[in-house]
Amino acid sequence: MKHKSGKHSPIFYAFLFPALFSFAFVIVIPFFLGIYYSFTDWTAMTGTNVNWVGFANYTAVFNDVTFLHSFLVTVAFAVINIVVVNVVAFGFALLVTSKLKLKNMYRAAFFMPNLIGGIILGYIWQFIFNNAITAFGASIGSEFLATSLLANRFWALLAIVVVVTWQNAGYIMMIYVAAIQSAPAALLEAAHIDGANYWQRLRHILVPLVAPAFTVSLFLTLVRSFQQFDVNMALTAGGPSGMFMDRALPTTEFLALNIFNTAFAFRELAQGQAKSVIFFITLTVIALVQVYFNKRKEIEM
Amino acid sequence: MKKVLLAMALLVVMTLAFTACTGNEDTPADTAANNQNQADTSTDISGEITIVNNKIEIDAALRDFARLYEDRFGVRVNVHSFGGETPYAPALAAMFSGGDEPEIFVMEGMTDFISARDSGRVFDLTGQPWVNDTSMEFVYDGRVYGFPVALEGWGLGYNVDILNRAGIDTSTLTNVNAIREAFETIDAMRDELGLTAVVSMAAGPGMTWVTGLHAFNAYLSLGLDYNDTTIIDMLLAGQVDEQRLMYFAEYYNMIFQFSNPSTLIVGGYDQQLGDFGTGQTAFIHQGNWIDPTFAEWGVDFEMGYVPHAFLPQDTPGIFVGAPSWYVVNARANNIDAALHFLNFMASSPEGHEYMVVHSGAVPAFYSVTHIPAGQFSQAVNEWSGRGQVYAWHQNDMPAGFGMNTLGPIFELMAAGSIDPAEFVRLVTEAVATIAP
Repeated sequence: MKHKSGKHSPIFYAFLFPALFSFAFVIVIPFFLGIYYSFTDWTAMTGTNVNWVGFANYTAVFNDVTFLHSFLVTVAFAVINIVVVNVVAFGFALLVTSKLKLKNMYRAAFFMPNLIGGIILGYIWQFIFNNAITAFGASIGSEFLATSLLANRFWALLAIVVVVTWQNAGYIMMIYVAAIQSAPAALLEAAHIDGANYWQRLRHILVPLVAPAFTVSLFLTLVRSFQQFDVNMALTAGGPSGMFMDRALPTTEFLALNIFNTAFAFRELAQGQAKSVIFFITLTVIALVQVYFNKRKEIEM
Repeated sequence: MKKVLLAMALLVVMTLAFTACTGNEDTPADTAANNQNQADTSTDISGEITIVNNKIEIDAALRDFARLYEDRFGVRVNVHSFGGETPYAPALAAMFSGGDEPEIFVMEGMTDFISARDSGRVFDLTGQPWVNDTSMEFVYDGRVYGFPVALEGWGLGYNVDILNRAGIDTSTLTNVNAIREAFETIDAMRDELGLTAVVSMAAGPGMTWVTGLHAFNAYLSLGLDYNDTTIIDMLLAGQVDEQRLMYFAEYYNMIFQFSNPSTLIVGGYDQQLGDFGTGQTAFIHQGNWIDPTFAEWGVDFEMGYVPHAFLPQDTPGIFVGAPSWYVVNARANNIDAALHFLNFMASSPEGHEYMVVHSGAVPAFYSVTHIPAGQFSQAVNEWSGRGQVYAWHQNDMPAGFGMNTLGPIFELMAAGSIDPAEFVRLVTEAVATIAP
């Protein structure tokens, strides 16, 4: 701490340089360049002129029924997914911090799916939904199970929730496990001696104590739900088709996939960029609101 | 002071290292000035060229041919193949933005051409020796800009043995009534023939390249002269031929109804091919690119194509075209060698052997005498040899329109959610949004 005056030696800056440099070139510059491109007719082909078009891309986006649909379906997915992932993860965490035999094995097993890439998971589960479950359904004579769940827009959305939960619950579980283990045992013990049953201890002692973990986990699952892309692409590819505002469109196309298709299927790169900017602003606002309200629930020890 | 110097030196080195990577300066070339191409390009070729290929399947064959060319002429040919897990178009765009200017790259149609032309990358190939040896070169405004990589085609693929056993004369299947009758006959004999469905078709979310592009091309070109662009021109102006579209919708509704529902709605490419390859269906809606997969699987029964004749009148012809063209990059350094390489491919016995025998393609050049090994490729070769071909216009639709806008409408009809009349209404509305 010799340099409290703020005067650092040049060597200090030399060491800072690589990190700062890559941060600038990988995050900061592309971010602002992206905002700029969303106001132009950029096509990503070098050698083509880039012209300023004002808010034309944004107007097009607001008139795009598929974007509106993707927005709504992503919100629906996020709400369901956040609840399911956190409930399952917290349940797992309680399970593996209890006096269970083999709890370390369960801990590893629950975490394992998180190590598999979303694309691979998507294809594996696609096979399970399209082939394994339908074969099982046919063999027990259930007409409902004999047709793939992925062919129905409502069940296809829940199928994505199932796969994403399977992938993420283990990771979120680890956050809860850490929080539960660091909760003071004395408080729980005191409550036990005072005659509080398991549910009362959970509800009034443990949950308030691990509130910071809820803040983090809800934030992570919220952001991840909105950013969901790989499982979406591999599992349903946006399908099945359905009608929305008198348009035929893919009914499980989330925002990220919609942006990807705008940019690389329709080759409207600038419009995709405009969608990304809108996506960024919305997600930032929602995430900040969530963190603000969660923070108020946390208690000081 | 030493420290300051060291820090400065570090900074300079890092900055240099970075700029060195991106220092590949663009060399814009004026395409208009390159009109007088020499037919004889054998003079003074040297150095190396880079070719970007969009078919990962022919990567090995192309590399072998590149090596042969290098041994013969001393020009090194670098091959970059994309496809499969690495989508070609974004990979090529990334090369361009990284400052790489490959001598030869692939374009897949008008959209690609426009973006390549607008960025000053298309070299005028008019007057190249191979142009007279093909009818599939890419022409724009009377000038030649693309070397046809191969011919591909599709019709309604059929299993010869099954149709024989059902007593159907395939030469009569040239209008929709004959096809409907054949479907009904085979459907009635399903158990006897060991079939699970009449047609192998997939129209689910990952298969919109078949429905939105290949299937829809029938509407754009069936029964029309090869150079007749009436329907696609109407489409690009936001208009449809309603009666024609109605016939088209009814034909595809029929195909869907005679398909295996699970393959149709949620099945992928492998399942579609598997149903036909194992003899469970009499027909398949796919092009000759499925030959290598069947070869790999050991499927060797006799196969052929009949037209996707959705009209009541006879339309004897299948859809044949060049799926892609090689473009010589006007901004690249070694254009002479690139031109020579393409000429060598089109005119030498080694080039012909590469195109047909090693990469398994249907040749786009008249002078090639080899016959492709795959059965559907042979069928394409025969139909095109008889001149009974209809054009490909599906790639002239706006980017994404076929697969992402029309695809879901096909899927809805396949799932039985909409009828042909509703299909026509939705397609008409979608087409109307194209109008400039």
